[in-house]
Amino acid sequence: MNNRILQIEDNPDDVLLTELAFKKAGASVTLEVATDGDKAIAALQSGGNSPPPACVLLDIKLPTMSGLEVLTWIRQQPGLKRVPVIMLTSSLLPEDIGRAYDLGANSYLIKPPDLNSLIALAKVIDQYWLHINTPPVDVPCLEKVA
Amino acid sequence: MNPTTETLTPDTPGAGTRSAATSPNGAPHSASELKANILLVDDRPDKLLAIESILTSLNQNIVKARSGKEALKLLLKQDFAVILLDVSMPGMDGFETASLIRQRLNSEHTPIIFITSIGTTENHVSRGYSLGAVDYMLTPIVPEVLRTKISVFVDLHKQTELIRHQAEQLRLIEEAKHQRQLSEVADRLETETRRNRFFTLALEMLGIADLDGHLLQMNSSWEKVLGYTEAELKALTATDVVHPDDREQLLAGMAALRKGIALSAFEGRFRHKDGSYRWLAGTAAPFLAERLVYIFVRDVTPRKIAEDQVRQLNTELEQRITALTAANRELEAFNYSIAHDLRAPLRSMSGFAKALLEDEAANLSSAGQQYASRISRAARYMDTLLLDMLAYSRLAREDMRLACVPLEEPLNELLSLVEREIRERGAQVEVLSPLGEVQAHAPTLKQILSNLISNSLKFTAPDRPPRLRIFTTRQPGSVRLWVQDNGIGIHPQHHEKVFGLFQRLHDGNAYPGTGIGLALVRKGAERMGGRTGVESEPGQGSRFWVELPAPENNQHE
Repeated sequence: MNNRILQIEDNPDDVLLTELAFKKAGASVTLEVATDGDKAIAALQSGGNSPPPACVLLDIKLPTMSGLEVLTWIRQQPGLKRVPVIMLTSSLLPEDIGRAYDLGANSYLIKPPDLNSLIALAKVIDQYWLHINTPPVDVPCLEKVA
Repeated sequence: MNPTTETLTPDTPGAGTRSAATSPNGAPHSASELKANILLVDDRPDKLLAIESILTSLNQNIVKARSGKEALKLLLKQDFAVILLDVSMPGMDGFETASLIRQRLNSEHTPIIFITSIGTTENHVSRGYSLGAVDYMLTPIVPEVLRTKISVFVDLHKQTELIRHQAEQLRLIEEAKHQRQLSEVADRLETETRRNRFFTLALEMLGIADLDGHLLQMNSSWEKVLGYTEAELKALTATDVVHPDDREQLLAGMAALRKGIALSAFEGRFRHKDGSYRWLAGTAAPFLAERLVYIFVRDVTPRKIAEDQVRQLNTELEQRITALTAANRELEAFNYSIAHDLRAPLRSMSGFAKALLEDEAANLSSAGQQYASRISRAARYMDTLLLDMLAYSRLAREDMRLACVPLEEPLNELLSLVEREIRERGAQVEVLSPLGEVQAHAPTLKQILSNLISNSLKFTAPDRPPRLRIFTTRQPGSVRLWVQDNGIGIHPQHHEKVFGLFQRLHDGNAYPGTGIGLALVRKGAERMGGRTGVESEPGQGSRFWVELPAPENNQHE
């Protein structure tokens, strides 16, 4: 089963806390990290023939490229466009929330202020996106079939 | 009784008199007017009578005089077609009479026929002619000859009279025509005078110029506005005094006028004699046949100055708005920064403090564990503070679009959110439905209600379970929502203070809080056109209220 999660996050503390939360949540996930937009794109491209991550945790405020730009890029890639993208950010701006959904985010989560909430969140992500949810099937010519 | 039938009765007394009244009346006198006057002068009545009888058949007006003197008297009163004058009369004879007749202007040309006997002919004829006689009749008179001669003179007289009459008519016609012309001229003069008054009295600058821009005629407004005398203005052309910036426009306008195109809305600055510029606005109409341009302009300098001021004020206003918008955007960025950048280290602080407590507890002393939990608690508090500040500043700036909101909607939503807390604290919440509707911005209203309810659940007295009562009262045009509790209450001197930003009445241990909640309630109510307040006494519980406008359709319920 694909248990790889790509976290795109520039704050090393947040990366560490997320790792900690998943560990404390008892989730068996492989957390891969990209600390800016360019690195995220590089990581997603270098995947080559291997399947994309089960889901992407995407911060909005990132150096070089914003999270929303990364999202736009992902949705344009034939092999990546259906990957579940979960926004994990501290931005409460209604514009950011709206834009993210418009660009095809699957979920929008606010970074919780305390560890317990973050652990709860990690647990839900693991359960829902890696277990309950049916992942997208890679059918490149879905449009043609339809 | 019918009067008509009455007249048919023969013995009616009025019948006879009526027939008498219808008899033909007065003879016409118009014939006598056409008759010529013939004057017979003779001392002898028999001769007068004889001549008269001869002439009667001519049917003219015969006047008789017995002496020269009498004849002269008659001549004073009337004109005669002809005078038959006996030469030999006692006293004043015919010749003497004739010479006197001739001396009078009226009778200067009246034909005179002398009547004389044959014997004295030679002498009389020469003398008579010298006195202006036109003919002679010798006695004895041949009636036919006399009648013929007289009728000739009568005809002549009538012709003369006719001609004179026609001449008179002609003269009258001429005179009437002349009068008419005179009155026409007078009318025209009056019209022109009035028109001239329009020209001279107009506040507008009226003028007539040639196609090169020389003023040929102008009213006094030009001098009043531009300061030049009429003579000075006539020596100038429009291009001499136009503002350099308006010169091109003026030249274009003049070119158009030369092509016969009228200028309907010309505006430009022209130099006053004192060197300053005046704004003139108006129209100009060319008449190419006469090579003239009629100009109507007015001084619009005050209006232009006012317009400039308005424009300048508008520019300033726009600049200010731009600055304000920029400031607002900066504030937005600042808030974003609070939300994002300031909260990130807090997450680290609380997260790692927690990790320390959970994962590294074995390596920490109990004091160390306490410090870690203090860090964690402080971080959480700071996060709440930041969120409250963010909410407050957003509330102050948010675009409040008011809509009709039934109060139960946000209230039930909120109560279900705090359901667990209510249950855990053994609280009772009583809602006196129906609460009605208000004009509100739904998210703000929800925030207000949330703060009021959590406030009531927070400031509870230690000895009794919280009891909340939520109800509304109505005033004309507004609805007041009350949140009543049985909590610790507030001293009246603090009633206003509690709504201030960062105002707290208790230390953080007993009743933790940021001091923003009620300030947010007040700000939100004000932004929605409402008010807020509290009625309370220490130990008696509090009744917080928010008054909001009622929806327009049921304001008078």
